[in-house]
Amino acid sequence: MLPAEFAKAPQAFVYKTVTKATPFLKNDYSFQNMWNSSIGDDIIVYMKKLQTGSVCLPFIEVRGLRKIYRLGSEKVVALNRIDLAIEKGEICCILGTSGSGKSTLLNMLAGLEKPTKGDIIINGVNIAKLNEKKLAKFRQENTGFVFQSYNLLTTLTAVENVAMPLMFKGIPKQKREKAAKKMLKAVGLEKRMKHHPNQMSGGQQQRVGIARAFVAHPNVIFADEPTGNLDTKTTIEVMELMVKMCRKHDLTLILVTHDPEIAVYADRIVHLIDGKIDSDKKNVSVVPVPTDDETTAVVTENKIDLKKE
Amino acid sequence: MKISDMISMCFKNLWRRKGRTFLTVIGVIIGCCAIIVMISLGLGMNAAMDAMLANWGDLNAVTIYSGRNMYGDGGSSDQPVLNDDALMSLKAIEHVETAFPKIQVSGEYITLSAGKNDRYKASWMEVYGVDFETLKKMNYEIDKGTFPEGTDTSNAVIFGAEAAYQFRDTKKRDGGYVWKEMLPDGTYRQPWIDPMTDTIKLSVNNTKKQNDDGSYQSGGRGYEHKLTCSAVLMQDPNWETVYSVMIDIGLAKQIINDYNRLNGVKNSKEIEYSQIKLWVDDIDNVDAVQEAVEAMGFSASSMAQMRKEMQGQLMIIQLVLGGLAAISLLVAAIGIANTMIMSIYERTREIGIMKVLGCFISNIRIMFLMEAGMIGLLGGGIGVLISYIISFFMNKFGSGLMSSMLGTDGSTPISIIPLWLVLLALIFSSFIGLISGFYPANRAVKISALEAIKNE
Repeated sequence: MLPAEFAKAPQAFVYKTVTKATPFLKNDYSFQNMWNSSIGDDIIVYMKKLQTGSVCLPFIEVRGLRKIYRLGSEKVVALNRIDLAIEKGEICCILGTSGSGKSTLLNMLAGLEKPTKGDIIINGVNIAKLNEKKLAKFRQENTGFVFQSYNLLTTLTAVENVAMPLMFKGIPKQKREKAAKKMLKAVGLEKRMKHHPNQMSGGQQQRVGIARAFVAHPNVIFADEPTGNLDTKTTIEVMELMVKMCRKHDLTLILVTHDPEIAVYADRIVHLIDGKIDSDKKNVSVVPVPTDDETTAVVTENKIDLKKE
Repeated sequence: MKISDMISMCFKNLWRRKGRTFLTVIGVIIGCCAIIVMISLGLGMNAAMDAMLANWGDLNAVTIYSGRNMYGDGGSSDQPVLNDDALMSLKAIEHVETAFPKIQVSGEYITLSAGKNDRYKASWMEVYGVDFETLKKMNYEIDKGTFPEGTDTSNAVIFGAEAAYQFRDTKKRDGGYVWKEMLPDGTYRQPWIDPMTDTIKLSVNNTKKQNDDGSYQSGGRGYEHKLTCSAVLMQDPNWETVYSVMIDIGLAKQIINDYNRLNGVKNSKEIEYSQIKLWVDDIDNVDAVQEAVEAMGFSASSMAQMRKEMQGQLMIIQLVLGGLAAISLLVAAIGIANTMIMSIYERTREIGIMKVLGCFISNIRIMFLMEAGMIGLLGGGIGVLISYIISFFMNKFGSGLMSSMLGTDGSTPISIIPLWLVLLALIFSSFIGLISGFYPANRAVKISALEAIKNE
C-alpha cells in the first residue's frame, strides 16, 4: 500500500515497495541508510526508469514535506505536501515569487531547517533525521552554497574564503590553499587571490563564492538567487560559469530564483505557489552553455588531489 | 577543523579588533597585577616575619621550663619533674633531633674569682650546667677558643660574651666594677680578667660566713674548683648567654650537693633540670613536638607558637588585600565577557556562514573559548611581567620602610614572586578568560545559521 502523499510522483519515476527482507538492487547507493526513511516495515523508494529497463534511485528525494511556522497562536503553512525527486546531474530550478516557500524548501534541502513533517533523502541519507553534528558533516561532504549576497568573510582574502570549507574538513593549510588557488584561477580571478571581498566588484565576489562552493567537490550545489545583486552582463557570466561546472562534473544544482530569465538555464523548472508545487516541467528550451575544459577540469583535479591524503 | 587553524583564526579575530582586545587585556593585566603584587607582599611579610623571629631565637627550638625555682618550690605541683627520665622521654619524641638540658646553679651558691689572692671576684654569676657534647650542636658561635674537647671536661668553662665584666676588682674602693663602654680612642674598655688566660676559681659559698663587702666566704678546701676557660661565645641574638658562664653538668650537680651539705640544707629531692631545649628537625614540625611535650604535662614555649599567631594576623591582612585584588580581576572577567558578546553580535553573519559551510558547532565554541582564554592568558602574561617590575621597584625603594616597621635588617625583600605564583597567575587568568568566554561561546553556538545569512 502506498501513502496518499506519493500519488503525485513525477512521471519519470516508478514506485516500488520493498521490505527489509527484500534483496535490493545493487548500485552505488547505500541502502543501509534507507532504513531511516522506512515507514513501518516498508521502504518506499522512487526509482528512475532507465532506458535499459532497469531502475535506479533518484539523488534527492523529498517525500510528503510539510513546514509550518508558528507566529504566536497562528500557524503559517510555508510548505505543504511537497514531493520531489531530483536525479544526479540535474539542474533544477525552483521558481516562485517571494513568500512562495522556495527559500524554505532550499533551506530544508540543505539541512538548515528541520521539516515539520516528511523526509528528505539525499544520496541515500535522510537528512531530516540527522543531528546537528552529522548535518555539519553532511554539508561538508555533499553541499556547496552560492548566496545572493555572496556571504564571503570580509576579514579573509579570496584564497582564504575559498579554502574555508576545506579548513572545516581539516585539510592542511598548504594543500587547501593550493586547491583554492586553482579554483580561483578557473573562475578567472588569478589576479585577485590576495584581495579582500571589499576590494572586489559584485561579479568578482560572486565568482569567489562559486569557487568556494565547488572547491570541496560537492555532490549538490544550492544557489539562492545567485544573480540577485548582479547586472545583466554579469548575471550571464555567473550563470554560465555555474552551469558549466555542474554539467562537466555531473553535479546536481538546485537553483532558487524568482526570475524566469534565470530559470532558462535549468533542465527542469519546479514552480512553487503558496507552498505547493504548481507545476513541475521539463525545460524544453535549455540555454546551451559551452563546456570549456580549462575552466572545469579543476574540480576533478582538486578531487583527486585532495583524496590523496 | 585542525587545532592550528582554530588558533590562527582566533589570533586573526583578536588582531582585527585590536583596540578592543587591548583594552580588555589591560583590564586583565590590572587584575592580575593586583593579585600577584598582593600575594607577593604577603609572601614578603611572611619572610620578613620569619627573619625577625629568627633574630629573636631559634625557630626550631622548643624550650621546656621546670616551672620551679631553684629551691625546688613553686610551679604547679602536678607538672612532672624534669629529671633524667623526663629527658629520655622527651628525646624520644618524633622529630626531636637533640635535647639540651641545663641546670642553673643559683648565684647565691657560688663565687667565681681570678687573679692573685682572688683579687677579682664575681658574685651572683649566672652559672649553668650543660652537656658540652650537646652544646656543640647548638648554634652558639664562638668568639675565642674552642669547645671543650676530650674525655674529662669537668673543669672546663665557657664564658658568655660579656661575662668577664661581672668580675670586679676588690682592691678598688669604689667597688671596682667595669662595663663594656666605648673609650675615647674608639676601643672598648676591657674587663679586669681575660678568661682565656686567667685561671678561674669556683668556690662554693658558706652562707654563714660573710666578708666585709657582703659576699659569702668560700667553703674552703674541697669546695673549690679550678676551671680553665676554653671558649668565649659571641653575643647571641636573644641575649641568653651574654652574662652567664657554662660549666659541665656533672660539676653543677656536684656543686649543688656540696652547697646543700655545707650549709645544712635538707633536700631529699633529686636535682632537676631548670630547662631543656629540644631541637626539631624541621620548622614545620615544631608545633607537633610542642603539642607532644605539653601532652606529657610540661610547659613549653617556642617561636613557632608566636609565628603561628603572627601568621594568623598576616593571613587576615593578606585575605583583605587579596580580596580587593580579586575584585579587580572579577571586573576584568566581566570585561572579557562583554567584549566577547559584542564581538558575537558583530560576527553573527560570519558565524552563520561558517555553520552553513559545514563548520562543526563544537569548533565554533572552541574558537570563542580560545579567544576569551587568550585574552586572559595575554593579560596574565603581561601582568606577570609588570608585576615583576613593580616588585623590583618596591624592593628597591620600599624595603627600608618595611624593615623599620618589622625591625629586620632590611635584607628580606618586601615583595617576593616565586615561580609557582607566576604559573598560578597564568593558569588562573586563562581560566578566568575561559569562564567568562563560556556564556558568549554558547550564544555563538546558538546563532541560527538561517537568520545570519538572510539577505537583507
